Order: sequence, then structure tokens, then C-alpha cells
Amino acid sequence: MSATTALRNAVSVKDQVSEEEWALRLDLAALYRLAAKHGMTDLTYTHFSARIPGDEDVFLLNPYGLRFDQVTASSLVKIDVDGNILLDNGYGVNAAGFTIHSAVHMARHDLKVAAHTHTPAGMAISALKDGLMPLTQKSMRYYGRTAYHGFEGPALDLDERERIIADFGTDKHTMILQNHGIMVCASSVRLAWTRLYTLEKTMQAQLLAMASGAKLRVPPKEACEKVAAQWDKGDDTYRQDGWESQLRLLDRADPTWKH
Amino acid sequence: MSVTAMSVPTQAGVREQVSDIEWQTRVDLAALYRLVALEGMTDLAATHISARILGAEDHFLINPYGLMYEEVTASNLVKVDMNGEKVMESPFPVNPAGFTIHSAVHMARPDVQCVAHTHTAAGMAFASVETEVLPISQTAGYFYKNVGYHAWEGISTNLDERERIVRDLGMNRGLILQNHGLLVAGPTIPAAWVMIYQLERICRTQLEAMAAARAVGQDVVLMPQAVADKTAANFNQSFKNAAEGRSNFDWDAYLAKLDSTDDSYRH
Repeated sequence: MSATTALRNAVSVKDQVSEEEWALRLDLAALYRLAAKHGMTDLTYTHFSARIPGDEDVFLLNPYGLRFDQVTASSLVKIDVDGNILLDNGYGVNAAGFTIHSAVHMARHDLKVAAHTHTPAGMAISALKDGLMPLTQKSMRYYGRTAYHGFEGPALDLDERERIIADFGTDKHTMILQNHGIMVCASSVRLAWTRLYTLEKTMQAQLLAMASGAKLRVPPKEACEKVAAQWDKGDDTYRQDGWESQLRLLDRADPTWKH
Repeated sequence: MSVTAMSVPTQAGVREQVSDIEWQTRVDLAALYRLVALEGMTDLAATHISARILGAEDHFLINPYGLMYEEVTASNLVKVDMNGEKVMESPFPVNPAGFTIHSAVHMARPDVQCVAHTHTAAGMAFASVETEVLPISQTAGYFYKNVGYHAWEGISTNLDERERIVRDLGMNRGLILQNHGLLVAGPTIPAAWVMIYQLERICRTQLEAMAAARAVGQDVVLMPQAVADKTAANFNQSFKNAAEGRSNFDWDAYLAKLDSTDDSYRH
């Protein structure tokens, strides 16, 4: 089953980029493959991006037209916040994806990675008045750290960036894009992955809990804030998150992400 | 897909260092990690399944911290004491804090060999609403009147929470950790597999039934009390048989499922 992925570009960009950029490309390609593995895709849509180390206005975005399980380190598109493609690898980007991700990278230099999905659970939560609730200790990771942005139609208008930035604020790491989906941001790709994975699972749990009609056990606000702070503290240093293990498992199934 | 032991991190020489019974415990526990992964009950590298080594009652096996369940093998399981401290050399880290809940159960329940804990969506959902396991299906009989409920106290870092976990578990075979997840306490590793598999399905089934019933203004239908009690008694006998070595819940059938795709857990 390995290497069955048709790679449109057989040319590696490894020799054309810095070591740091190549390492980031590997991580970001792995993030796409992990999201695919865990069923978080929407055809060729939605996007994950990562800012290039040392260059605050340049980031990597997925090659539009590829499935997440086709994305490779070399096919990621290097683009600046003004929309200029800085390394020609034969791919372009999706306009709405560019709007949302460039907004994050323009405004939040503390966050290097943004990941946005349209999963059924995420879209459902984004359509609820109460949004994301702190029902479990895992969901408290997002307590007080989640922003909401009202839907304006497909994000094809660059003006929307100002409103995304204003809604996101300076201290949140997650955004519910109302009537649309979710976005998590992080200081590293591996942290973005655990935030994305955990959010997905807690949203599924919340929907099941609410739908049951039984009374929800909502912990007190102080406890939620305490646990959220514990998550923040762990997130900066936590390295037993299974990232390397997951990369080996990706390799086992299909090592083409490293190309 | 064939997977060779070479593609999984293992520890050389463990088979030679340990007793036959410990090695068998390692193979079975590694298989349980793989089955939990196969059924989609993992939470990346978080949560744990632990097993007591028979004949060395205060020694336990736990997962190498930071490996996905799909990479757990017989040799990379780490042998620890009640405090989660390694008692045999291992290049793999352990998570003593994560072992706290497990050790509480192992200390209090000598009848329990294997403790499994999950953070599944259905388990977390069930743990976050005011309900209990209801006798709405034959399968619910696995845990009907045999599950405890532990109130959420924040992320478990407090050693004295162990007393309350032990109190709330009592002699039950499962524990709903409110706002957190699920835990089962099996007399054997195969029994723990059946328990965690069925408790997951019980939670999901009940939530779905409640949602559907409420949507049309009804309540879920409970079986008659006498039937519920008879069904539970039947399952109690199954677990008693397992505890006494007269049943392994067709464990070989599940191992065969693993072996057909990836037998690296045996290394």
C-alpha cells in the first residue's frame, strides 16, 4: 500500500530551502496526513499553515487540488501575506484559505501554525448558540481560550482578515468559525495536532452529551480555568504526545509525505 | 500489510530476563493495547492500561509513555512498582502520575489483574451527563448494577484522590470518571478487553437511545427488573469463570485478528 499516492511533482525542494524550513515542511505534511488518517478531511478543502522560521510574513499552505493524504513536504506552497508565491513548485493555493490563514500569520506572531477543519462535529458545534462547552477535562483546554467569528460567506474578501484578527484577539489559540467550522493555532505543528485532535474528540463528546437530553454536569468556572491553565503549562513543554510514534506509523502506511 | 518487528521500537533481551508467566502477561497486555487501538478507543499517546504480574503481585506492566498504542509490544512494556517507579531497566519513559489511578485500584483490589482507562467521545459524553447505566439492552447487563461513579476533582494529581477512587469503584467492575472518561477493572487481561469494549458500546448505545427517545417525547424502555437482574447475574457468572481460569472470553479469536495484519505486539 505504500507509495501508491500519485505525486504530481516528483521534484524535491529540499535543496532549495533552509534546514529549518525543510523540517517545518516535514512536520506540516505529516499534520495533513494525520488529519486524513483520523477522518478530519473535506475533499480537497480546508487548510493547515505554518509560518517559516525567521520570516514573519511568509508561510506554507497546502497545494490546492490535492487531497490531504497526497500532500508532501515539497508540494506545500510558500506564500507571503500579500499572496506572492515565493517558490514555484507548480502549485497554487485556495483563495479563502489564504484569507483566513494570512490573517492569523499577520496578526499573531506568537502562533506559528494554524489548522482549520470542516468536520461534522466542528460544523455542528459552530452552529450552536452555546458553542464549545467545558464539559470534560479535555475540553477545558479551550476554556477561555476560544474565540468566535461570525460567518460572512466564503472568505473570499480580504477585508474579512481585519474582522478575523479582531475576533481572535491576542490571547486565544482556538477559533470557532460560526456556521462554518473550527480553527486551532499553536506555537508548533505537534502542539497544533494535539489541540486539533483533542478538540475534535471533545466536540463529538459534547454533541453526544447534549443530544442525550440528560442534564449536563458542568463543572464550576474556577475549576475550568484552573484546568485550562494546567493545559497551557503542559502544552509548552509536553513531549510525550506520541508525535514521533505517529510519524513512524505514517511511514509504515505510506512514507510519501516526506518527499 | 505485514509489519516486521524491526519497524517498532522494542527492547532486546527482555524475553530472556523474565519469567514465562511475565512474558505471557506482556504479550497479552500488548495485544490489549493493539485491540483498543483497532477499535478506535485511543487518545493519541494518553491514557493507560496496566496489568499485575501474577506471582510478583506488587509489580505491574504499563505502556512506554509517548508511544502510540499501535507501537506497544511485549518487550517495550515497562515494569513498575506501586508508585510507578521502574523495577527493571527500560529505555522507555513511564508516566507515574498517569499510573496513580491504576495503582489505587491495584492496591485495593487484589482480584483485579488489569485496569484499562479510556477517553473516548462516547465515554466522555456519558461521564458528562447525569445518568447511569440503564438496563436497556442485554449488553448493558455487563455493567448494570456493577459500575461506580466518581465525581470529578480536577486533573488527578492529588494522591488522596486515590482513596475516593477506591471507595467509588467498590467491588464494581467499572467506574465512570465524571467529566473525564471510563475505567474498567478486569480479573484477567481478556476480561478487561471484554469490559472496555462493552462499556464503550453501552455508553454509546444508551446516549443514542436517549437522544432518539427524547426527540419524540418518550423515555427509553427498561427491561423488567427481574430480567435485568437475571441478565446481570449471567454476566457475573461469566466474569467469575474468567477469574477462576475457566474462561478466556475467546481471547485467541482476538489475537488471531491481530496476527492476521500485524503480529509485532508479540516482540
